[in-house]
Amino acid sequence: MSTLRWQPVATLLLAIFGLGVSVYLTVTHFDKVALVCVSNGTINCEKVTTSPQSVIFGIPVAMLGLAFFVPMSALCLPAAWRCADRRIHLARLLLSITGVGMIVYLIIAELFIIKAICLWCTSVHLITFILFVIIVTASPIVLAPDYGPGLADGDDADDAG
Amino acid sequence: MAQDQDRTTGGGNKPRPANGPGGDAGQSAKDRSRAQSRPVSTKSPAGKGAKAGAGGKAGAGGKAGAGGKAGAGGKAGAGRKGGNTPRPGARPAPAAPKRRASGALVAWGAVGLVVVVIAVLVIVKLTSGSTNNANAPYTPVTPAAASVVHDVTNIPLSVYNTVGVTSPQVQVTPPIIVNNQPPMSLNGKSPATFYYGAEYCPYCAAERWSMTAALSRFGTWSGLKVTASSHTDVFPATSTFSYHGASLTSPYLAFSGVEAVSNVPTASYYTTLEKPSKEEQKILATYDTPQYIPGATAGQVGFPFININNLALISGPSYSPGSLAGLSWTDIAGGLNDPANPVTQAIVATANYMSAAICAGTKGQPGSVCSSPGVQAAAKALKLS
Repeated sequence: MSTLRWQPVATLLLAIFGLGVSVYLTVTHFDKVALVCVSNGTINCEKVTTSPQSVIFGIPVAMLGLAFFVPMSALCLPAAWRCADRRIHLARLLLSITGVGMIVYLIIAELFIIKAICLWCTSVHLITFILFVIIVTASPIVLAPDYGPGLADGDDADDAG
Repeated sequence: MAQDQDRTTGGGNKPRPANGPGGDAGQSAKDRSRAQSRPVSTKSPAGKGAKAGAGGKAGAGGKAGAGGKAGAGGKAGAGRKGGNTPRPGARPAPAAPKRRASGALVAWGAVGLVVVVIAVLVIVKLTSGSTNNANAPYTPVTPAAASVVHDVTNIPLSVYNTVGVTSPQVQVTPPIIVNNQPPMSLNGKSPATFYYGAEYCPYCAAERWSMTAALSRFGTWSGLKVTASSHTDVFPATSTFSYHGASLTSPYLAFSGVEAVSNVPTASYYTTLEKPSKEEQKILATYDTPQYIPGATAGQVGFPFININNLALISGPSYSPGSLAGLSWTDIAGGLNDPANPVTQAIVATANYMSAAICAGTKGQPGSVCSSPGVQAAAKALKLS
């Protein structure tokens, strides 16, 4: 099984990158400034970001992205990964599962309802999915009852695998 | 051997009294205490048996007395010597490794499930065939009503001057100014202005209102037609002109307007209208690039692209086509004499920016346009004066 040597850094970088894209999408949502995006029919960021599906329960999806990546960034800090409190790791896992559920819905919306792909949104989907993969596969380690700060180097992980 | 190891895991690694049959004889009291108090999988000094709990590998290994030297047979070898033989009724060791292994299985299963779901969605989309767009509605290109052409090409000077570059309700983005470039030449005439767009394109639809108005200050339009952007794209059916077949006669500049694609849907896109000349392709290849247009993709041309004498570049909308939503040609054109109209402000402010850039190439001609307060305000904002 993998160790926890690279996961904290990788997830933190991904979360920060996702946060940056979400900030950009939120700014363009409210400023009504056109997204920097290729438009060739299938790929059409404006069509996606101005579609009815870009708002859920009155909340712009871009803001939901912010609401996802802000806590995710905090939960992916190395200190949070080292934390022995299982609730931290559980929260990270649940957030990543929620995120991946959301991207499945948004992919359905893009492919079958809006019929256009937004490259910025796709980059967020990719980041969320990679975060999900890393977090879910690390969960057996960090959610183990005996997980503690000393395990971050992961010697025991060899045995678990 | 593997079975031996499993059995060893079953009971051989439980901390035992120092004088027991196992290989802990050589363990210090401190080590034993650590082994009893720490979780089974906790990291430990190598070779001292602390891995034992986790994997049953070295409980009696290391320097264990019963097993002799650890090197003899490796970790499991110590167990085979008898030091880790399960005792009847011995308490099983914690099952952390198995639990984690099953956890890993569940984790990778979840990842696989997500991958499968996304793959199925993409495959269903691809195999269902591209959406046939051919039957989508569109607005045919028709000759523009005289009143519409009159209104957009005869906007009162007072409106240009009152608006200047002020459009408080509809945000207007000024052109990108590029310095130290040679003046543009089209068909041997300079200065020149080049427009490249598509009839389906909603951003082009908005831009044409300003472009038509601005260029009418330097020449006379002929062959202008009206149409609307795609009905199925963003900002659907935005009322506009088409430059396909239209021309501008001007003593001050050359103009070429290329509508690459129509608004008539095909199964997957729109019908092709015209291709840029080699001279125009060179302009696109040179200036519609990331070097001059932030966010542009090398090798890809976006609609619209406007180059005013290699001095001012416009890529994308100067203002949102959303401001024109639901308005007909006569609605838009009819409001162009009202400087308080938000749509008029956006169109006229953009036209003043364009006019100022054109004036920089025509060396201030005609003076009635280039010296007007509205154009001067735009020139100042663009740092052209």
